[in-house]
Amino acid sequence: MNRRATLLFFCVILASIAIQVSLLPVFLRPAFKPDLLLVITVFIALRGSFETGAPLAWLIGLLDDVCSGLCLGLNAATFLISFLIIKSVSDRLYADSAILFVLTVAGVTLAGFTLNLLLTVIFTTSPGIAYSMLSDIFPRLLVNAFVASIVSAFPGFDCHLEAS
Amino acid sequence: MDFLKKYIFPLLTGIGVLAALLIFSLNVPRNREANVIERSLLSVLSPLLQPVYRISRFVEEIRDSYILLVDTHSENLSLRENIRVLNLQVMEGNEAVLSNQRLELLLDIKRSVKEPTIAASVIGEDVTSWFRTLVINRGSSSGIREGMAVLSADGVVGQTIKVSSSTARVLLLTDHSSGIAATIQRSRARGVVKGKGEMLCTLEFATREEDVKVGDTVITSGIGGIFLKGLPIGEVTMVKRGEYGIFQTVSIRPAANLSHLEELLVVQRGGYE
Repeated sequence: MNRRATLLFFCVILASIAIQVSLLPVFLRPAFKPDLLLVITVFIALRGSFETGAPLAWLIGLLDDVCSGLCLGLNAATFLISFLIIKSVSDRLYADSAILFVLTVAGVTLAGFTLNLLLTVIFTTSPGIAYSMLSDIFPRLLVNAFVASIVSAFPGFDCHLEAS
Repeated sequence: MDFLKKYIFPLLTGIGVLAALLIFSLNVPRNREANVIERSLLSVLSPLLQPVYRISRFVEEIRDSYILLVDTHSENLSLRENIRVLNLQVMEGNEAVLSNQRLELLLDIKRSVKEPTIAASVIGEDVTSWFRTLVINRGSSSGIREGMAVLSADGVVGQTIKVSSSTARVLLLTDHSSGIAATIQRSRARGVVKGKGEMLCTLEFATREEDVKVGDTVITSGIGGIFLKGLPIGEVTMVKRGEYGIFQTVSIRPAANLSHLEELLVVQRGGYE
């Protein structure tokens, strides 16, 4: 990524965090808050290189953890694993497709949910969280897919991170 | 003839005046009827008057609709601006009144708490919907440490976790990781209030024999060192005693409205580095 794209990406991530932490909670119920950072991670996984994308996915997950809950590293691990899985197959897919992007976001939402559920149940002392997670997963899936479909309509969606 | 020539003008003037007075005096009794002269003049003038009247109306319309409305338009804009400013002032006034009411309630709590407290505002919420935390605008630079009690005007909100220099996160009492030692105010039955996620808590480890009823007020027991004794946590909404097991299931609705928190009090007591 060149300096301009890096700066733009940094701004997008910061704006997403601000929107998710301070703006959306005022207007939306918790279950209907989109996970903008997850959408960004999927975009990186489909369009970016492995060398840049892997640490970036982990860092974005870490950022998500800083603004969420108690377990620092939970989303970082989930985002990194999701990135690695997508990256392993993205070379064989038509990564520019908007439909693929929406489906991948939906898939990663489900996979992230499963991984988070496993990790929290195994490593933390709050097994009751499974109930909250299960009750939220369906609206979360739909909202994330909806946001992904909006993102795919943005003018810069076709660009490749390394080329930009 | 010389006489006539000399006085013809005053003579004709006098005759004219007399004729005018004669016509006037003759028409006085019939002043509501049009005489020949009037009828003739009106007949002659009417075709002329009609278009002139239309033209004058047209000009008047132009004057009223366009020339005078130039000012009206700017006046309208100015009035709209005035209305906007006044509406804003009314809204600010209402907001100040509401804020004042909230802060008064908070001040009452502050007075009732024997320990030093610090006021904080909510500036953010948890990114995910699975955890229940808030971000407040006070951190270690204001003397806040992890493990301090956070209160609202209605009761216990939670405790501070992950403190930075200018912000701190508050683990709400409804989070699955939260646990607060509690007592039923009426019967003094004890238990631990655990979070259940969506704006609900349960009183755990309350044995079947303990006297707990719907509507009971749950308060902090003071055990644990984070929360002072006697702070309101919530109200019992459901009690279920199964056939088996040693504990009963008690649901609690938090006293504080956790979805609409704005101003909070952090009790500067205890905490850990």
